[in-house]
Amino acid sequence: MTIVLVHSDRRTCRALQRLLGAAGHRVEVTAGADGALELLEALGPALLVVDGGVGRSALLAVHAAARARGAEVCVMLLGPAGAADAPAIVSLGAVTSLLAQPLPALAESLAIGARKLARGDLFGAEKYLLWGTELCALELARSRDRGARVDELADRLRGRGQSARTASMAMLIADELLSNAIYNAPVDARGAPLRRAQPRDRDFPLDGRQRVRLRWGCDARYLAIEVTDWFGSLERDAIPPALARRDVRETGGGAGMGLGLAYRACDHLVFNLAPGARTEVIALLDVRAGVAPATAAPTYPAAASYSVFVQRAAPAVASPAAP
Amino acid sequence: MSRGARGRMTLTAIGDAIALGGAIDEAAGLAELPGRAREGRLVLDLAAVTFINSLGVRDWIRMLRAAERAGIAVELRRVAEPIVQQLNMIVATRGAAVVASCYAPYACEACGHEESCLIDLAAHLPALQRGAPPALPCPACGAAMAFHDFAERYFAFLSV
Repeated sequence: MTIVLVHSDRRTCRALQRLLGAAGHRVEVTAGADGALELLEALGPALLVVDGGVGRSALLAVHAAARARGAEVCVMLLGPAGAADAPAIVSLGAVTSLLAQPLPALAESLAIGARKLARGDLFGAEKYLLWGTELCALELARSRDRGARVDELADRLRGRGQSARTASMAMLIADELLSNAIYNAPVDARGAPLRRAQPRDRDFPLDGRQRVRLRWGCDARYLAIEVTDWFGSLERDAIPPALARRDVRETGGGAGMGLGLAYRACDHLVFNLAPGARTEVIALLDVRAGVAPATAAPTYPAAASYSVFVQRAAPAVASPAAP
Repeated sequence: MSRGARGRMTLTAIGDAIALGGAIDEAAGLAELPGRAREGRLVLDLAAVTFINSLGVRDWIRMLRAAERAGIAVELRRVAEPIVQQLNMIVATRGAAVVASCYAPYACEACGHEESCLIDLAAHLPALQRGAPPALPCPACGAAMAFHDFAERYFAFLSV
């Protein structure tokens, strides 16, 4: 796969070129937005990786040009100063992937994303965990199961010795993602919401397509929490504004903050979208930061990453409703 | 909805404060709290809060705004870690309330004991704003416990 890297620091470029090149990708480097647009035209890359420090207008121009050509764009923020720009980048409401991580964790995330795009194989938290990590899978058969499943997750994490912070954040993330899957995902054939306005304390069965799956696992680096619905109604362009929201919605069954809170509570939030078929959201929590004695975590404490992937070809997804 | 480990929210009067416990979620119902203020002051003890989700945050913010409109001063005491995390994620969760004290994660590097410790914010405010939480004695071995999170992240709400 061809990747265009836009960054003015030659050492960073060389490091990423080497790491991604070792994974089998062709990596072309340019220092600024003009060069990025030229390489976009000349090479037709599948992925542009752009330094968040190029400036707002350049970032938006590159993003728009790449989207028009069907290329994915990932904005990267390196160093504590770069990571501090994360809220500003998120608030643009247009950037669909942001990696705020130091090297080499950044290169690992890029390599995983590039592999997903190259293979057209987007789904599954396993891609972010070390080989052999087992995931616990739970299906919700009724809306009232949400609380019990969230409590069960927290109890099991505490039982495995995870910190109070990790258990608390996992509870919040799972509760919000499950709530979205139960109430916001279901739509009718015309795309109209079916349950969005319903009070969140009503109990009803989650049949067929409305079933919701929770999976989680930990590989001693990341705790991954994955929630799947079988409607695939979450739209790519709706995600950045949802992450940027900083206040609750006053009307409606939900508070409109679910994705925003899940994003702020984790280190990396991944969206895998198969429009009309399936939405999978994976939250990654770095558990290395909660180990005594205090160790430096390979993530920035004040900035989280997010990535949005959209299934291009018609997905062959086996939903619970399918025969 | 099931009430597991997090528990249904409870309200209990303790001295001059109202203690909230359990989960603040869609079933919480905080609207009555401003009506329980005394002499224009509402003191909430949040030590036993185990969980708060986005619907609980919405209810919480509505309660704080109603109190502010009524001229009620809100003081938050012994704020549990899940609420501190929300104070940092959504600014409106603090609103005009004064946070007197909060729990924070500590770990002993000598014996590995971990504990959520109460910090008097007024007594330590300048140090906390510099990102330097106080060392506290370990209840297990007596050695000094160190703050066990990123101070700039955990106490970010003090800088708003």
